[in-house]
Amino acid sequence: MYPIWEVPNLTAGIILALIATFHILPSHLSVSAMWFNIYVETKAYKENRPELLEFIKKYSLLLLIFSYVLGSLSGIGIWYAATVANPRGISGLIHNYVWGWATEWVFFIIEVTGIFIYYYTLGKVDRKTHLKIGWIFAIGSWPTMVIIVGILSFMLSPGKWPQTGSFFDGFFNQTYWSQLFMRTTLMFGISAAYAIAAATRLKNEEVRKFITKTASMWGLAGIILGSVLFLWYLKTLPAHPQELIAILAPKTLKMGMMGAAGLLVLYFIYANIKPLTIRLVPAILAIVVLFGGIFSTERMREMIRKPYIISQYMYSNQIIGKDIPAKGVSAETKIINERGILRVSPFVPQGLRDINETNLLQAGKMIALIECLSCHTLNESGLRPLPKMIKRVGLQEVETAQGFLDGLGEYPYMPTFAGTAMEKKALATYLVSLNKQ
Amino acid sequence: METGTMLKTLQDPMGIPFYPLVFQVLMVLTFALHIMFVNFTIGTSALAVYGHLRKEENWKQLSKSMARAVSVNVSMAMLLGIAPLLFVQVVYDPFWYASNTLSAAWVMGFIIIMMVAYSSAYVFYLGREKREGKGFTFYGVLALALFLSAGIIMHVLGYQLLQPEKWLGWYIKGDAVNTSGTSLHAFQLPRFLHYIIPSFAMTGIFLMLYAWYFKNREDMDKGYLDWVGRIGAKTAFLFTAMQSVVGFWWLLSLPGEFKFLANPFFLVGLVLGIALLVFLYSARRDPVRYAIPSILGAFVTIFAMSYTREALRMKYLGRFNYSIFDYKLDIDWGSTALFLATFVMGLAIIGYLLSVAYKSGRVAGEYVATPSMNKWGSISIALLLIWIVLVAGLGVIISVRNYL
Repeated sequence: MYPIWEVPNLTAGIILALIATFHILPSHLSVSAMWFNIYVETKAYKENRPELLEFIKKYSLLLLIFSYVLGSLSGIGIWYAATVANPRGISGLIHNYVWGWATEWVFFIIEVTGIFIYYYTLGKVDRKTHLKIGWIFAIGSWPTMVIIVGILSFMLSPGKWPQTGSFFDGFFNQTYWSQLFMRTTLMFGISAAYAIAAATRLKNEEVRKFITKTASMWGLAGIILGSVLFLWYLKTLPAHPQELIAILAPKTLKMGMMGAAGLLVLYFIYANIKPLTIRLVPAILAIVVLFGGIFSTERMREMIRKPYIISQYMYSNQIIGKDIPAKGVSAETKIINERGILRVSPFVPQGLRDINETNLLQAGKMIALIECLSCHTLNESGLRPLPKMIKRVGLQEVETAQGFLDGLGEYPYMPTFAGTAMEKKALATYLVSLNKQ
Repeated sequence: METGTMLKTLQDPMGIPFYPLVFQVLMVLTFALHIMFVNFTIGTSALAVYGHLRKEENWKQLSKSMARAVSVNVSMAMLLGIAPLLFVQVVYDPFWYASNTLSAAWVMGFIIIMMVAYSSAYVFYLGREKREGKGFTFYGVLALALFLSAGIIMHVLGYQLLQPEKWLGWYIKGDAVNTSGTSLHAFQLPRFLHYIIPSFAMTGIFLMLYAWYFKNREDMDKGYLDWVGRIGAKTAFLFTAMQSVVGFWWLLSLPGEFKFLANPFFLVGLVLGIALLVFLYSARRDPVRYAIPSILGAFVTIFAMSYTREALRMKYLGRFNYSIFDYKLDIDWGSTALFLATFVMGLAIIGYLLSVAYKSGRVAGEYVATPSMNKWGSISIALLLIWIVLVAGLGVIISVRNYL
């Protein structure tokens, strides 16, 4: 266990979620936008319509700055946030998938050099060469998705990995293909929404009309196909997350997903019929709706992974809960139950390692910091605040609270309590004290 | 808990999927590339602002070019920073994670700082294109200041990492822990300066390259290019000399027990550093001719210095019996092969892209590709398609075997 970072009212996990959600727009845009560019550029050359290149210039700059300035940084931001929010979780992923990420990095280099050169050489190299760069970028950026989907889906559905410990068994898991195709189609919805926004800045009405009409068709196809594939994705989920969707998923998230998809379909149809009436503000609003829909979906994906950060291996609170014999790793819960979480964790004040009547409350808080904070704030407000939850459950007595901790594992989304009997008492004492605040 | 035991406890139980030496070499190599572009970023940002404030036409023009260079340099710096960031977490995970969580708020601050810095750099570059005037100076200065602040954060994280014996003291106060992550706990001036001063030396070489690159372009003014080359060579020499002084200052501030003066890595770095200095002294005579050997020499020196830095880290952490060569091995040939093959393929494709950029910039009008360049482009596209087919094929085989 590493030092804990406490973000009042939020939790570090929410910081991670916010950055990760933001990152979805630029990252999916980066994979899809160039296909649209190549289509338009090819048309411009074939039909001798140089005016279309004005759009290419605008859209590429948008792609460059949005995806490769804010997108790259937010991508690194996800990593940093994961590092400080859940270091052992990201470590577990890296120690399995380092070569996956390293492979993805090779494609990043192709993307970044590609987009700079594509943008800066437009009109400065012959058409064939410029299109070639476009093709290299378009084809070369899809593998970044091919790779990251393997690692992302592994966290929720590790496939045969828990038995074999093999890189590719975890990578090509049961939700891999459905998620890959869902993201691949949805990304065209994203690039279309951005293309329409970029088109509102064009002076030439004919071009604007053409771009908006074309983009709206791409967008419509992307959203509809993506939604259908989403249903397939739900079917491929293992039983446990399926069950959690039924129990946990709040109506707002479901509404968020379906509402966003519906609104976007209407928007694209409208854009197709009346392309010139779309101005910058509604075009940006459409992107906001898109963001809302994706946010809901990603939150759902995070939610149904509980109680794990890496399914079938590590709990959200970074304690390894399951043996992985193929990797020579044993669950830590056993040793923690025997020796105590405050004894095995390095970053614990010396005075709290042995619990007695005088330090019970402080030790209890330390345990809450280690075992609860990744999903619950210790403040009155914020993300799943412990004081509120304790009041709702009505824990008044230390004994009842201990009984509650004993039964924790029966909630399908909660890890079991890990620690000695004395530590359980300490945590129970702390929880009850929250009720009295 | 004794520090050595603590470090062992913190290590990831999964082990590492390939020999530690390979991760170390990749980490140092990519770090050397990363820090070179960090240096270019800071140096070109400073030069862009300085030139913008000067009245002379030459400076104005150089400032414009530098502002554009910043946007590319910072992108490359970030891109090349990803790899060492990844590899350091593979072999030095206890140190990297502890150092980061102890200053967590700053770690997130780094991202925000970089976002604002990068955006400001773009406003400085694009904004001036549209409108002349000093109004945009603010954005240039802001970008530079923030780039430096980001450097300070990274320096602190890298330096805290070396002192595991102090971690508990930073985190624990009596019977309570400080979970705010708002403190930066360790800073060493000569070490920090040793990363920053080369920014100006490297940017000097960058200017020599600039003069060399554009020398055959008919639309470029010869006098201007000569001037740029001369400034470049002068700056490169001056700051390399300064760098060697700072290097000794850093060396003297190291714990005596390391006996680092006699360390073979250090000695190699030292010899290369001196050779570079002597070489740059001569380069002032003809900056354009010396441009390519200068950048090659500088990179070799940076690489050696980066390995020296790694050797120093091994000294620091060896005090706690930590060695990456003791890391539990769980070799995974499949994924290692995937990376190595992709890496080699990537070099071929990136080579094509850079060649197009290189060749197109050297002509004033439109660049028309030669048949061999066209072929290289087509091969690049084909390689990507083959990669996709092979990986998807592998995926299908595994999915069929596991689920059908």
